[in-house]
Amino acid sequence: MGEFMQRHPAWSVVLTFLAAVLLWAIFAPWPDGLEEVFGRKRIFLNAVFSGVTLGGLYFLVASGFTLIFGLMRNVNLAHGSLYLIGGYLGFEFSEATGLWLLSFVFVFIVVGLIGVVLQYVVFRRMEGEDLRQTLVTIGLSIVFADILLWIWGGQSYTILTPDWLSGPTKLPVISSIKSNGEVVYLSYPAVRIAILAAAIVIGVLMWLALNRTRIGMLIRAGVDDREMLAASGVRIQFVFVAVFAFGAGLAGIGGIVGGTFQSLSPGEDVRFLLASLVVVIVGGMGSIPGAALGALVIGLAEQLGSVYAPTYSVVFTFLIMAVVLAFRPQGLLGGGR
Amino acid sequence: MAVVVQASSVERRPAWYGRVPSAWWVIAVVALLMPAVTNDFILFQVFGWALILGMIALSLQFLAGYGGMVSLLQMTVAGIGGYGVAILGTSGVAAISLHLPWWIYIPVAIAIASLFGTLVGALAVRTEGIYTIMITLAIASAFFYFARQNYVIFNGYSGFNLVVPPHLFGVDWRQPMPFYYLALACAVLSYLAVRYVARSPFGLALQGVRDNPRRMAALGFNVTAHRIFAYTFASVIAAVGGILLVWQNAQISPGTAGIPAAIDILVIAVVGGIARPIGPFVGALIYVLLRAFTPDVLTAFGMSGERFKLLIGIGFLVIVYFSPDGVLGLWDRWRASRNSRVDPLTGGER
Amino acid sequence: MNAPVSAATLSSTAFAGNALELRGVTKTFGALAALTDVTLTVRPGERRAVLGSNGAGKTTLFNCVTGDFLPTSGAIRLFGEDVTRFPAHERIRRGLRRTYQISLLFAGLTVTENVYLACRGVSRGRFSLLRPGRSDVLMARARELIEAVHMADARDTKVSELSYGQQRQLEIALALAGAPRLILFDEPAAGLSPAERADLVAILTGLPSHIGFIIIEHDMDVALRVAETVSMMHNGRIFKEGTPREIESDAEVQELYLGGGHG
Repeated sequence: MGEFMQRHPAWSVVLTFLAAVLLWAIFAPWPDGLEEVFGRKRIFLNAVFSGVTLGGLYFLVASGFTLIFGLMRNVNLAHGSLYLIGGYLGFEFSEATGLWLLSFVFVFIVVGLIGVVLQYVVFRRMEGEDLRQTLVTIGLSIVFADILLWIWGGQSYTILTPDWLSGPTKLPVISSIKSNGEVVYLSYPAVRIAILAAAIVIGVLMWLALNRTRIGMLIRAGVDDREMLAASGVRIQFVFVAVFAFGAGLAGIGGIVGGTFQSLSPGEDVRFLLASLVVVIVGGMGSIPGAALGALVIGLAEQLGSVYAPTYSVVFTFLIMAVVLAFRPQGLLGGGR
Repeated sequence: MAVVVQASSVERRPAWYGRVPSAWWVIAVVALLMPAVTNDFILFQVFGWALILGMIALSLQFLAGYGGMVSLLQMTVAGIGGYGVAILGTSGVAAISLHLPWWIYIPVAIAIASLFGTLVGALAVRTEGIYTIMITLAIASAFFYFARQNYVIFNGYSGFNLVVPPHLFGVDWRQPMPFYYLALACAVLSYLAVRYVARSPFGLALQGVRDNPRRMAALGFNVTAHRIFAYTFASVIAAVGGILLVWQNAQISPGTAGIPAAIDILVIAVVGGIARPIGPFVGALIYVLLRAFTPDVLTAFGMSGERFKLLIGIGFLVIVYFSPDGVLGLWDRWRASRNSRVDPLTGGER
Repeated sequence: MNAPVSAATLSSTAFAGNALELRGVTKTFGALAALTDVTLTVRPGERRAVLGSNGAGKTTLFNCVTGDFLPTSGAIRLFGEDVTRFPAHERIRRGLRRTYQISLLFAGLTVTENVYLACRGVSRGRFSLLRPGRSDVLMARARELIEAVHMADARDTKVSELSYGQQRQLEIALALAGAPRLILFDEPAAGLSPAERADLVAILTGLPSHIGFIIIEHDMDVALRVAETVSMMHNGRIFKEGTPREIESDAEVQELYLGGGHG
């Protein structure tokens, strides 16, 4: 951070200013003039919070993608299919048992196992062959998409939120001040808060595991030097399988999350694959903090866009990606390649 | 000295028609006589479509096979070419279409699509390998969403209908036989153009850039500029294919250039084989035949006809898993193995 | 079409200043300094050898001169022009050439096509979509170059089918394309048989006198026979310069380099 400020003083000032404006817009009550231009503060707040939550969901899905790519240079374009499979399985499981929380465990294990199979059958045999991996996983995603359509049909499903998480929660953020001086606080669905919190916790844990544990550092070293890792006594294939399973499992539970606060239908696999791609391109390939930043930026852009420029909100995300590519091809937090 | 060598090499060289393998003559005759032996459905829906998809996939083959850049953008460029003729020319959406004459709207549509391909190419060549695929995929979907949301230019979700080729020289080019010959002519020209350019200075340099960008820079070549120009060249072919496609369907909508369509082009090129420009046409013919006839076959076996996508997906998977160089690669290996078995008997070199 | 510049016209316009000037060039990779404050001047037509143990920074020096790497600090002037920030292809177009230690050739193309590409790279028409005709001047020039490096027999052979020694010869042919004024040879004799080495020395000493070169070479026999001046490198620095005779008799050099298993 300090290094960045030293190297780019002008950018640091601009970014600090933007962050301050955003914080002010969130926490301070808006003056009337501003409400006239931008509409009610409640709408803005809702968009920001939805954006952050959506960012959390994107992070769950994209972090698995970026983890697998960053550590093994494996390109898994069937990642969106894993998301959708996880969502459908979670739906079936929680419908059958009524245990929403347990469905996460179930899906994480099942989709993780699918990941193990993928790593063994596909990626281990095509190590270093980018293009073949891409093509095979595109083929897989076509096959998966049609099998899922076969089983679950074209309609959309929503996973029911458990009782203890349904309903709104009051947040310590002022939504508006009524004419009689009464302060109205923002209320927001509890389940979304829970999702966001979970995404943050998972992200921090992943970062800690990679940066603060011996095995994590070994894995990161192994990306650059396979032989070194093999020589250090770590069974590299075992580590790769484990990482792949973990990344796949994350995509799977992302499916439950997406199925709970949005919906599941054919085409969502492509949508989340694209979202993951854009997030990691913007944030920087293979970087967990990059995925977090990218997910936040894209989530916010999508939600703010859908409120203030509904026609072109989808295009915004790609515009951001194009701008990042043009000026910083390695992504915002990506290392030099 | 050099002059003498040239003179003798001229003598040894047969005339151009003698150098064309006889198999090509057979294909040419079959292709030209096709209308005499098949019905309109086969001519228009199978061969017409296969030639068009083959052209769009050919533009990908040029980029991937000679330039080493796997672009998922080619269907989008084709789509922009198609939208170009719908918007600039005449369509059922009279409020948007500009009704320009054909000799303006066709070249302008090709130019716009090529410009788009070049600009995106300039963005995509900043990255390499797998990043190119991801970035072109993302941009392709951006165009799809944009076209779906934009009603002023692209007429949103519904797109344009009644987009037909102009009546020229007293021929209705949308009739199956004229359209077949039109598509055949365009496809053959693009194929020959790609083959010719592959051995031109630019084509050789592009293959050099593919194999060894650093060395090419050390020979004085501007690597980035060559890659971008490859996108331009490929975009022209894709744009022509896109215009034929919109004429064939008589309509265009965002889905024409959607992600599944972009993936289909990749499937076609890879299944055929991206090493040679004939590959995409082989792949396109296989794809179109599968699409046209698998529903019937599947229904005959008691399955839903909708599962043809599964079949195409599995077929693609099997090919890329076992033969990265596509059907043509399988064919080459089969021939090579047959020849190596024959060799000891004949004593001839292969 | 642009005719290739003949040797005669080139030497008449020979450059008056220095062919190459490095001023305080430093290149670091993270914490590792591959080059430290390297200052080097090469006159037009000068033939210089750069010697030093593995890891002394010789190839990094070449990479900085050709523009494969941008130096961390310092300035590079090529024929009087500051090229420090120029991309590689712009330097090549100003008369710089190089060969690579590992063969970086186009394996799928024939010998003629490889040399033709090299000729094309330093002339106009790089983006031409028209195939070269039989009377193409560059094609004729490519044939001449192939003969100059004694490879006429292998003209239509694919590079992937060439022997190692032939590939090294082809490397040199590529570097001679166009109108080179300064060539960087990176270990051209590595892996060659004694006969091929003699051939190499003949090719190098037979180059037109206006073409200068810098050669990195482990074979002292080759290096000292073709070079007029020698720069000794160690740990990213140039620590001694002189004629081959001076260097051979220098005690420090003897100890550091020549004593170490060579000779």
